[in-house]
Amino acid sequence: MYEPKIIGFLCNWCSYAAADLAGTSRIQYPSNMRAVRVMCSSRIDPEHVLRAFLNGIDGVLIAGCHPGDCHYLSGNYKTKRKYLLLRKMLKQFGINPERVRLEWCSSAEGGKFAQVVTEMTEDLRKLGPAKIGEGD
Amino acid sequence: MSENMYIARSSHKDALERGEYGGAVTSILQCALETGKIDGVVTVKAKNDNRYTGVPVLITTPEQLLETAGSLHCSTPNISRFVKEYLDGASTMKLAVVGKPCDIRAIIELQKRERIDVDNVILIGLNCTGTMSPTTAKRMFTEEFEVDPDSIVKEDIDEGMLTIVLKDGTKKSRDLTELEERGYGRRENCRRCDINIPRMADLACGKWGAEDEEKKSTFIEICSEKGKNLIDETIKKGFIEVKEPREESLQRRKKKDEAEVERAEKWKTRDFKIFQELNQSERLNYWISEFNKCIKCYGCRDACPICHCKECILEAKRGFVDKGEVPPDIMFPLTRLSHVADSCVNCGQCQDVCPMELPLSLLCSFLNRELTEIFQYTPGIDIEERPPLTTTTEGELQIQDTFLDISSLTEK
Repeated sequence: MYEPKIIGFLCNWCSYAAADLAGTSRIQYPSNMRAVRVMCSSRIDPEHVLRAFLNGIDGVLIAGCHPGDCHYLSGNYKTKRKYLLLRKMLKQFGINPERVRLEWCSSAEGGKFAQVVTEMTEDLRKLGPAKIGEGD
Repeated sequence: MSENMYIARSSHKDALERGEYGGAVTSILQCALETGKIDGVVTVKAKNDNRYTGVPVLITTPEQLLETAGSLHCSTPNISRFVKEYLDGASTMKLAVVGKPCDIRAIIELQKRERIDVDNVILIGLNCTGTMSPTTAKRMFTEEFEVDPDSIVKEDIDEGMLTIVLKDGTKKSRDLTELEERGYGRRENCRRCDINIPRMADLACGKWGAEDEEKKSTFIEICSEKGKNLIDETIKKGFIEVKEPREESLQRRKKKDEAEVERAEKWKTRDFKIFQELNQSERLNYWISEFNKCIKCYGCRDACPICHCKECILEAKRGFVDKGEVPPDIMFPLTRLSHVADSCVNCGQCQDVCPMELPLSLLCSFLNRELTEIFQYTPGIDIEERPPLTTTTEGELQIQDTFLDISSLTEK
């Protein structure tokens, strides 16, 4: 079966801890996601995501704290705004924006995190490998 | 509204002669310099009297100002970077800066980023219907107008016509759209620009609305308290004579502005069509092939008024872009794009300086237009409005629903 490669940019304070919790709670989820820990989800600029796609990744997950819970007070609101720019840029450069997902996961939501990764893997399996020029 | 608008004329003989339309701007600046309201004026001067090499200059005496009177349409000086880099962002002196709408907007964007002092700068905007790159202009004057480019003493762009005046007084006019269809005429970004009257400046000066006057005059719109003080002082000291504009003049001014905006919309639709026509795979290939031409000269970064970081992430020592790698990693153009797209003022400097002629300004202004639709943010207009990607609104922070619905974002 085709296994999509996903890169997950996880916020140090919430989502990375959620992934940790999913692990310690022995919740099963697909191993397709490679986690990259960032100090804040707003560190992820559109160019990082685009570069990941050009280097052969099939999907990108950006996960941060719930609105109002940001360790830096307003980082995740900026993530949200950058996400809008990212979607515009993906479209401009011919990459299907559906391959990118923004999620809010608190450090207590190991279950939700596992579910998001499972869902995303399923969705990407249906979409197939990221090709230049899909999504028209 | 009309108490904020004047038709002005210099009372000074030299300024009247040398100024484009009655020398009012020159006289306002002379007055400000003489009374010590400002320490210097940043404006544009033809280097060695060559109309095709306008450079930003700092003028500190009223006499020198006369040399800079009149407008240059065939050079593209980078005024905002000049103020930021070479005058320490006006932190040590009070300045009046004269510029086109895009220069003024660039300065306002830099003021938001605290690179140019807000209190020390008076912004004097000039109406603008576009500028031409010096090489295109010279080629056009030789091939289309069949005149020696050096014999031109004045250019004017108005009502879709490009008019030139030669040394011997002869005038020649051509339809601008027709010239532009064939690759001459204004710079690409100027064709798409829809901000002709710089109302974001303290004073917006120009010809529109003053054409009907018997004697050459300038139409001045006062846009701020700072601008009002400056004008009141200039009138009091007798540097300029003013009168109120008539209703017809106001109507005419408005109509001309609308016509230019409409012209810009047409160009936008036309220029941006290439993005819509390419299908997704062609699109990525197109941009990759364009970006592969990049020789990493850092020209776009050094010219862009929005690029304001003291330590640029694209420097080799920061470890994101490898030293000596040409063409650079795709990170290079993409980083530039995602850092400036939200605040692009469509000044076209990136495209002007690019030795490989990448369509950088086109891409940036296209993305900026899409973002403007989402965030309702026009760069360089209001100093209180922060750049949308690095800000949050009070309202957002008070949202009660902490499980903010993400699907609402993807629909946009």
